[in-house]
Amino acid sequence: MAYLEVNKVTVLYKGNKIGIKEASFEANEGDIIGFIGADGTGKSSLMHAIAGVVKFEGEIIFDKYAYHSPKEAEKIKKHMGFMPQGLGLILYNTLTVEEHLNFFASIRNLIMDKNFKAYKQKLLHMAGLSRFTEREAGHLSGGMKQKLSLICALIHKPKLLLLDEPTTGVDPLSRLELWEILDSIRKEEGTIVIVSTAYMQEASKMDKLLLFEDNGIIARGSSKELINTVRGNTYEKTPCESEDCLELYDTTYSLKPLKSKHKEPTLEGLFFVSALKNRKKLPEISVSQRKEPLDIPPIVMEAKQLTKKFGSFVANDRIDIKLKRNEILGLFGANGAGKTTFIKMLLGLYPIDSGELTLLSQPIRSGRDRQKLKSKIGYVSQHFALYKNMSVRENLIYFANIHQIPTHETLKRIERYAEELGFSDYLDAMPKDLPLGINQRFSIAAAIIHEPVVLFLDEPTSGVDVIARYQLWQLLRLLKEKWGISILITTHYMSEAEYCDRVVLLKDGKKVADDTVENFYKKHPNANNFEEIFLEYYKEAN
Amino acid sequence: MIKAFLSIVAKELLDFLRSWGLVVVVLYSFTVDVYIAGSGMQIEPKNVSVGYVDYTGGGISQKILFHLHEPEFVAPKRFLSQKQLSEAIFNKEIMVGIVFDQDFEKNYRKHKKATIDVLLDATAASQSFITLSYLQNIVLNFSKLNIPIDIDIHKLFNPNSDERYFMALVELLSVVTMLSILLPAVVFVREKEEGTWDIMLLMPVDPKIVILAKSLSQIIIIMAGVVITVGLVLFGTFNIPMNGPFFAFLLLTFFYAFTSAGIGLFIASVSEGMMQTAQLSMLIMMPLIFLSGAWTPVYAMHPILEKLSLLSPLRYYIEGCESIFFRGTSFIDLWQYFAGVLVLGSVLYWYGFRKIGKLF
Repeated sequence: MAYLEVNKVTVLYKGNKIGIKEASFEANEGDIIGFIGADGTGKSSLMHAIAGVVKFEGEIIFDKYAYHSPKEAEKIKKHMGFMPQGLGLILYNTLTVEEHLNFFASIRNLIMDKNFKAYKQKLLHMAGLSRFTEREAGHLSGGMKQKLSLICALIHKPKLLLLDEPTTGVDPLSRLELWEILDSIRKEEGTIVIVSTAYMQEASKMDKLLLFEDNGIIARGSSKELINTVRGNTYEKTPCESEDCLELYDTTYSLKPLKSKHKEPTLEGLFFVSALKNRKKLPEISVSQRKEPLDIPPIVMEAKQLTKKFGSFVANDRIDIKLKRNEILGLFGANGAGKTTFIKMLLGLYPIDSGELTLLSQPIRSGRDRQKLKSKIGYVSQHFALYKNMSVRENLIYFANIHQIPTHETLKRIERYAEELGFSDYLDAMPKDLPLGINQRFSIAAAIIHEPVVLFLDEPTSGVDVIARYQLWQLLRLLKEKWGISILITTHYMSEAEYCDRVVLLKDGKKVADDTVENFYKKHPNANNFEEIFLEYYKEAN
Repeated sequence: MIKAFLSIVAKELLDFLRSWGLVVVVLYSFTVDVYIAGSGMQIEPKNVSVGYVDYTGGGISQKILFHLHEPEFVAPKRFLSQKQLSEAIFNKEIMVGIVFDQDFEKNYRKHKKATIDVLLDATAASQSFITLSYLQNIVLNFSKLNIPIDIDIHKLFNPNSDERYFMALVELLSVVTMLSILLPAVVFVREKEEGTWDIMLLMPVDPKIVILAKSLSQIIIIMAGVVITVGLVLFGTFNIPMNGPFFAFLLLTFFYAFTSAGIGLFIASVSEGMMQTAQLSMLIMMPLIFLSGAWTPVYAMHPILEKLSLLSPLRYYIEGCESIFFRGTSFIDLWQYFAGVLVLGSVLYWYGFRKIGKLF
């Protein structure tokens, strides 16, 4: 019998909304189980059920003790460690690192003897926080906060550790360190670790993966086993002929055999093949040519020594970035690296503390300089904030009216975008009822309804599933090709750098790298992907 | 520009109508709340519980008690000792206790000074003191005093001395104050909370147009609410007279709504979320209402507060509306109230407008 057994667990929320449906799996001591899938596919629900913090149906057996409700789970909570989603949510900004560990130890009723102290030192050492025991949590970087949260969850030596997206938005180096801590803990203590993640690259570090889609588990196995299941369906890029085929950026997936050569499959492929098997139609995305050719200067945006300070904290430190005509520029970095601050300065949402900014050949000195440019800029904010009391169509009409577009033209454009971006079926739905992927494309439609010449997107891909993310990049490339516009996009998914023309890497408010994608690969011949390239920059900086 | 302006107004109205929680609160404030304030405020004694101790053996004392009847009083309850009566008052069973001592009837018959001891539970101060004056009237009738003065009363503007008139109107005006501070603040703060603030700032529309359109949309909602209250509650339920020009009332309300909207804009500019908005609104609104004379007549205030009340726009609004409804003042003679509201209003709205404009 396995140490942890989860039998047909179903979580229902208010209004019979399904969190997770009939999920079952087993885990043995020392296993690392990975939950992989997009937001809203049930990873967190299952994790909460196991942690005994939500009501669920089904049965969970932990070390021969079966529980069916949060009340019954109370007995085993002392053997559990749980780290909820979000950066440093369990931390208190005004407590120091040392105080945190002592605090979590005392609420767990641990005896603070010699053994405890030794274990505490060991954890601090593993997390690389030994030097920072006196520092307040509020002054730690995102990665350090996450490591501190982790060792706080480990202080009582739990037998079961539940980590909900511990690595999201954390820089690649800290992520690597987090994994090292987990690996040594499970080897030494035999802890079962359950981790959910949005980064496919981390899958290889887990013993067993559970792939989540549509609030259920669609596949399970080790990373290698899973990848092998789609080996037969993965081909070099070839045009599709039949229905059961998907042609992507540089890969083609097909259920029927194709003549072209097979390609090394990836975990992402699993989601595409699963979509093919379920006959889920991916909406064709297209963008039609603009009527009038655009008059765009060769340099769309130029930032010279841009600096932004919040009190004594320097969010952006003398940043130089150029955005050229017809270019997709990716701004990469961990949470808190200054990506959003930079975009907000470009847009005038934050005043510029020092430095020069030129937008569309117009030096920006006052709000009045910007007023004229507003109709040429499109902006998609984080979390796709749109008016939630208005339907998709009403939202789009509103934005068009604000941009003084004639009504007949507005209606034509809405129809066209809905068709091309694949949200026709949702035109009269409210934003909250939309799947995140649709919401994302509709937000972009709202941002381009006035046909801007430059588009700024702030983290448009976080929390969106693999397929929707792929389609977003496809849409951006089409916009670039057909309209000739420039796009500046921020993201913390390092792997998405492949889709950009040029990549800028920010770290702690400073620019640490800026080059074209080809040059990055030339400079780092040993790196297989951008994850590894960026990791080198982080290692250098330390 | 007109198109953008109208789009924003339309969007805000749509947004309001679809946030049913807010609609319920606004409808409640404009109907039930005004009704309750108008009808529920009881200052006259009703169902007052009376207890007595009678050491005289009955007679005059019973005749006096006979006058304490429904609906003002419940039938007096007899207690055997003063101690028991005091306990009953302490336990809130009895509000007024009357003690007839042994010499009471003797003295009365001898035309000497006869004394009744009255114990009052003064927690409900106004009720108990009005009850006291009832008692005094009853006793007065017994004393047959010969004073050659008679009072002939002419009640002006409110012949039935209907308390509900004033209470309902003042409550409506307070509701207008509350909502015209809260609603304009909410439209801005909601954008902050839902993360659409940035998108609003990036619209290629003059910030002035955005602010004006947003505040106007909320004032439209308030005007609609005022018409509903006046029709359903003031005229429909309480039969309040309308002796002056109705349009003057609407116009004054419109200007006044802008005045409070200015305060709302200020609140929106300094608060980050709904909770903070609600708290700040309360904090600012209370002194405003207190200084206006809605709860305490202005002439009864401390001299310093009386001067300060000149700064409460609600004071001019209340006095103006009273004049319109009850006194039937002609439009021309209302100028001072209009002037008060307009002067304070332009200052407040200008300040709020500037304050929120700085965020753009």
